[in-house]
Amino acid sequence: MYLANLWFAWQLPLSLLKTAQGHPMLVELKNGETYNGHLVNCDTWMNIHLREVICTSKDGDRFWRMPECYIRGNTIKYLRVPDEVIDKVQEETVKRSDRRPTVGGRGRGRGRGEEGGRGGGGRGGRGGYQEDTGGGGRGGARGAGARGSGRSGGGRAGAGRARG
Amino acid sequence: MTLSSLHTIHHGRKETVLDLSKFVDKGVSVKLTGGREVTGTLKGYDQLLNLVLDEAVENLRDQDDPLKTTDQTRPLGLIVCRGTAVMLVAPTDGTEEIPNPFLQPESVAT
Amino acid sequence: MATDTGLESLVDQTISVITNDGRNIVGVLRGFDQATNLILDESHERVYSTKAGVEQVVLGLNIIRGDNIGVVGELDEELDSNLDLSSLRAHPLKAVQH
Repeated sequence: MYLANLWFAWQLPLSLLKTAQGHPMLVELKNGETYNGHLVNCDTWMNIHLREVICTSKDGDRFWRMPECYIRGNTIKYLRVPDEVIDKVQEETVKRSDRRPTVGGRGRGRGRGEEGGRGGGGRGGRGGYQEDTGGGGRGGARGAGARGSGRSGGGRAGAGRARG
Repeated sequence: MTLSSLHTIHHGRKETVLDLSKFVDKGVSVKLTGGREVTGTLKGYDQLLNLVLDEAVENLRDQDDPLKTTDQTRPLGLIVCRGTAVMLVAPTDGTEEIPNPFLQPESVAT
Repeated sequence: MATDTGLESLVDQTISVITNDGRNIVGVLRGFDQATNLILDESHERVYSTKAGVEQVVLGLNIIRGDNIGVVGELDEELDSNLDLSSLRAHPLKAVQH
């Protein structure tokens, strides 16, 4: 497990995204609009299909609910995914490495192995995804402070990001 | 006819994330790069995300603040949206403006 | 899967990213690809202002699209921990003009 983690210690962003299927996430587009929804599917272009979406305008003052939407990958600025997804992707890569132990990946050890898994502490308290529809069983550090982290209420405009 | 031929081009060589076939003959809202927004009835599409919209209407934006959409519209009729300009596609059915859904009991005050 | 961006040496290290919209995001690099899409873990945004100290906004796990990245830099954690962000005043960066 430890060694496997060393070899596969980093992931491809798109693999992480694939792993995040079914999870809630926040997507910000280049135009500043944000979309909160559950990832249904994605492809190698980062095109994504979200369900149960809440769209927030750039200023964070208007909101729309849409049952689903399709977003072209190249309009995305960034995506916020739940913390637990990276643990999931790690498990999956470890499983993969069990099947074909030494294929590829070697030589990537950077001599930084002090921490095999992910230190649990100090996380949580993140908002950013809506947890509206039956999120049963996912639990985790979401919910209460949804979209917390200072960017409260009106959405992103809150956190003093109002510029210019 | 153009519409049907465009429609039949679709065969998903590289399967797209979203199956647009379920939106055919339904209302869709399309956001384009540059900020325009158009709604119409989806009549056809191809794998490059070129879309054919019938009875399309452009949702006009505020003259002074192009970020804001207004209630004003402009009829466009039958149009083709170029795939490369399509940013976002969503069904109009079930899409509605809502009050701030994130105003839950907030712990952090700024 | 060779990449010549040199980001490989930064994996699992804390990095600082400046995005095209002028944000500064700090987090642990967990992955990247040819397009410089990044996986940033335990990330936070540093919001600079001339009126108040630096506000740190927790973002958690993030995928940043390469298109949107201006600068990626290694963060000297010791140096950084000696910074008193609460008393630091700075103009926010402007967004990139396309």
